[in-house]
Amino acid sequence: MNPEPQQSLPITAEAEPQAGRTAVPVWLIVLLFLMLYWGMVYFDSHGGWFNEQVYAPYRNFQEVEAWQPVTGAPGLAQLGKLVYNKPTCVACHQADGKGTAGQFPSLVQSEWVQEPEPGRIIRAVLYGISGPFQFKGQSFNGAMVPWKDALTDEEIAAVLTYVRTNPEWGNKAPEVKPERVKQVREKTKGRNQPFSQEELLKVSPAD
Amino acid sequence: MNYGPLVFLAAFFALASSWCGFVLTPQLQIGRLQQTNTVGGAGIAYPIARPGLAHQGLDVYRANGCAYCHSQQVGQTGTVLDIALTDAGTNQATTVAALLKLAESATNQPSALTMLPSFQPGSSNAITESILGGLPKAFFRSTTREAANAAAKALNSTSAKVQLWVVPVGPDITRGWGGRRTVAEDYLFDTPVMPGSQRVGPDLANVGTRLPDANWHLLHLYAPRLEVKASTMPPYRFLFEKRKIGRRPSPGALSLSGNLAPGPGYEIVPRPEAKALTAYLISLHADAPLFDAPISVLAPAGAPASTNAPAVPGAASTNAPPTNAPAK
Repeated sequence: MNPEPQQSLPITAEAEPQAGRTAVPVWLIVLLFLMLYWGMVYFDSHGGWFNEQVYAPYRNFQEVEAWQPVTGAPGLAQLGKLVYNKPTCVACHQADGKGTAGQFPSLVQSEWVQEPEPGRIIRAVLYGISGPFQFKGQSFNGAMVPWKDALTDEEIAAVLTYVRTNPEWGNKAPEVKPERVKQVREKTKGRNQPFSQEELLKVSPAD
Repeated sequence: MNYGPLVFLAAFFALASSWCGFVLTPQLQIGRLQQTNTVGGAGIAYPIARPGLAHQGLDVYRANGCAYCHSQQVGQTGTVLDIALTDAGTNQATTVAALLKLAESATNQPSALTMLPSFQPGSSNAITESILGGLPKAFFRSTTREAANAAAKALNSTSAKVQLWVVPVGPDITRGWGGRRTVAEDYLFDTPVMPGSQRVGPDLANVGTRLPDANWHLLHLYAPRLEVKASTMPPYRFLFEKRKIGRRPSPGALSLSGNLAPGPGYEIVPRPEAKALTAYLISLHADAPLFDAPISVLAPAGAPASTNAPAVPGAASTNAPPTNAPAK
């Protein structure tokens, strides 16, 4: 048997202590509110607003978005690939740029595409082409539709940059800036006719 | 004592709030997680379900308690941008001058620039070559996109071509345990998930990328110190079988020598469990570039930046979030 523990305790005559009522100290209230504030700030900056795309170390969706890698070097060629495959150019010139023999000319290493100055090719894309046409020694007699209303200056510049700089096609012409397209568009304002080969050859590429 | 209802309510709310925090909120966040697409270029489906043998290997991994010593979760403390030169351009002297100018303002100089001070405008081609050789090469590291863009702009104004590489940083990544932190998608097809909690051994989140050789893993399981000198891992010899060589040695037999050799006329062959575990280990590749874990994956040298694959809507290296991104 265990000894009775009560027997070993000293018996005191004092009354049992009782809890009184005291006001909560002001510093404790202040401390609690400070901690609450800190907690909210911490939650605010680390919670990611419960977005499933946001894990530490990112704090919000915009931050995750901002860190996405931009692939490929120039942005214009990237946009141009999207425009090309919208479908715009891809419908006739095909995804590989080779077109259809006898119907739609190939853009791959074409002399028209790779002119150092893009004056002629911008006009061709803006207003289209009609009539007989010599392309890399082959003659075509098709029509190219105008894109001046369907595409913006930036989109035309992008798609031309994509076509002219595409390494897979072996094209190494310089890129086309949106300002250049704007400049050509303003110079040829009022035109509604597609270009023929003779007309295009009369235009200076630098114009 | 008539506090029964109060005690009940207090207990109920305490448990309910923790249930909301630990069960309901994660379920709402990632409970409906689906297979997504990698971002930046390829845009292939991720994760891909493990092939059959690797799937069985998960059970072996679990049964042998690998998760007690190996974690499968890589942490990351931040992300930085590396400014890399992909093409030195035609006028290399201008490029190096622009690099020098940037190096003056840069706080932490990367090792690629240690040769820079010795460069003089008229100095020899060998020094220019040592700086600009081996492109693409990262030259500067910056922690904000604004600073990186400014540096890239300064270099782009020369004839050089510049790329910005998104590089996750953190102790785990410095140890070489992965290219990026692990995210929920990495475990999507694993039941149960084996993230582990202790790191007696190295993290295994992308061991399949680090050590893709099945033979290495088999030898390592049989005798860890054969492969890693100071390994504290116990040998898992019961996953192997010692048997008499038949007419000719088995193709899968381990090549052991010295006192590990099984003796003349015998060979050590892995049991199916060892093969499954190995298949599982080499299927661990938690390093795909995902929207919620951005990282630049560099194309192999010589490959063009943009491919001419048939048009896949949205896959043409846009920065569009994958399918399960929230609508903004």
